[in-house]
Amino acid sequence: MKIFRTLTATMTLVAALSVTAFAAPKSIKVATDATWPPMEMVDANKKIVGYDIDFMNAVAKEAGISVEFKNTAWDGIFAGLDSGQYDAIISSVTITKERQAKYDFTEPYTSIGQILVVPKTDKTSKVIANLKGKKVGAQIGTTGAFEIKKVPGVELKTYDEIGLAFEDMAAGRISGVVCDEPVAAHFALQKKEYRDKFKVVGKSFTREGYGIVVKKGNSALVALLNKGIKAVKAKKLDVKIHNKWVK
Amino acid sequence: MTDNQTPHKAIEVGDGAAIPHKSDSGLFTAWRIAFFGAIGLCLFLAFGRPDQYMAIFKFVPDGILVTFKVTVGSILLAIVVGLIAGLGRISTNRFINGLASLYVEVIRGIPLLVQLFYIYYALGRFVKIPDMLSAIIAMAVCYGAYMGEIFRAGIQSIPKGQMEAALSLGMSRGQAMRQVILPQAFKVVLPPIGNEFIALLKDSSLVSILAVSDLLRRGREYASETFSYFETYTVIALIYLVMTLFFSKLISLMEERLNDGR
Repeated sequence: MKIFRTLTATMTLVAALSVTAFAAPKSIKVATDATWPPMEMVDANKKIVGYDIDFMNAVAKEAGISVEFKNTAWDGIFAGLDSGQYDAIISSVTITKERQAKYDFTEPYTSIGQILVVPKTDKTSKVIANLKGKKVGAQIGTTGAFEIKKVPGVELKTYDEIGLAFEDMAAGRISGVVCDEPVAAHFALQKKEYRDKFKVVGKSFTREGYGIVVKKGNSALVALLNKGIKAVKAKKLDVKIHNKWVK
Repeated sequence: MTDNQTPHKAIEVGDGAAIPHKSDSGLFTAWRIAFFGAIGLCLFLAFGRPDQYMAIFKFVPDGILVTFKVTVGSILLAIVVGLIAGLGRISTNRFINGLASLYVEVIRGIPLLVQLFYIYYALGRFVKIPDMLSAIIAMAVCYGAYMGEIFRAGIQSIPKGQMEAALSLGMSRGQAMRQVILPQAFKVVLPPIGNEFIALLKDSSLVSILAVSDLLRRGREYASETFSYFETYTVIALIYLVMTLFFSKLISLMEERLNDGR
């Protein structure tokens, strides 16, 4: 019986600790997958930079907390939140019903859409459905990948990083890539190596809001971050950040 | 590397799944427990906890097939590459010998993961090869170097007298190699090649980084959508375990057959 008593005692202790753990913190660790330019990437000085980074710093400043970024692979970035390796994720995470079932989100801080990129040699394709019988790539576990999966007859290929998908398209192994609009623009219009090879086609075909992700039940942090987001938007800092990175 | 003849007997440690030998009763029992335990656990999870696990078992089978194809394709190609490299390493022609040695040294000095990235994307720059074939070529180039050393050691383990005898019977060097040395060497190298096969089966999970939809990638795709990381990787680990244990048994049976025929 003693073991049960110890067990209950431990569980109460853990519960008590986790309540205190969810109290509003002074500094937080935030994970980001810095392979998603221009939203989050590593610059020449090995610093994590991008839209999300500037935005997160602005939010933190308004909320009165400090932030430490942690570059984390996208595949497993949610698992790291589960195991408590960091407090939040800002990594162009679209708010979806499925994700909301497992994690808590802040208010959406910006909205984007998915868009298709194809090689310039492809004169006809405008939407994913035009690529029936072909392979189309996206980063693993992204809304872009989920959109490709919805189209019957198109084979989805998932990559660890979106850059690898573009490189595979340059090698002719896949016929299209689907990703967030700003990322598509970065790779297909700005990158020297790909500018002459790829083009963005059609219009973005989804409307998605990005949110900052926290562990389920951490309502103190969500409230704090929402307060920060509201202040950032009120001061129009988000427009400034948008113009710096996306335009 | 040169062969340094040390007076001590080198210890032998296999890098594959322990290929059980009948005389090793401890390992033999362990094999049974692991193999049937893993299968039992799979069945239990699939049917005892169907709402969590059944979907995973339904999602990954095409990945198992891809893993199998990549492994078999790579090992066959690696045997060819390895045989050429091995013959090159014992060649008396300085140029061929140097080239084969350089290949072995360079490949063995680079981590497999780095090589896979490199060969896959380097191939993509110059020739248009479908993804799975690229992955197989990359794996075969890597494993070919290790195979080459196995073949070299296998051929050199055949007593010199055999070659001399074959030559004195009027055979050419090539004829003697093909008809006398290699058939015997193949028997010698079969156990280490079996080990390499098991190691390759496990290392084939690395091709999942190349967007080849193998078992591991299918699992990662499932986990990234459902966030059930623990459940997914439990299943993936169990399936790999069943596969490696199954093949290690098959290989040990094959070896026994060959030894009987000697």
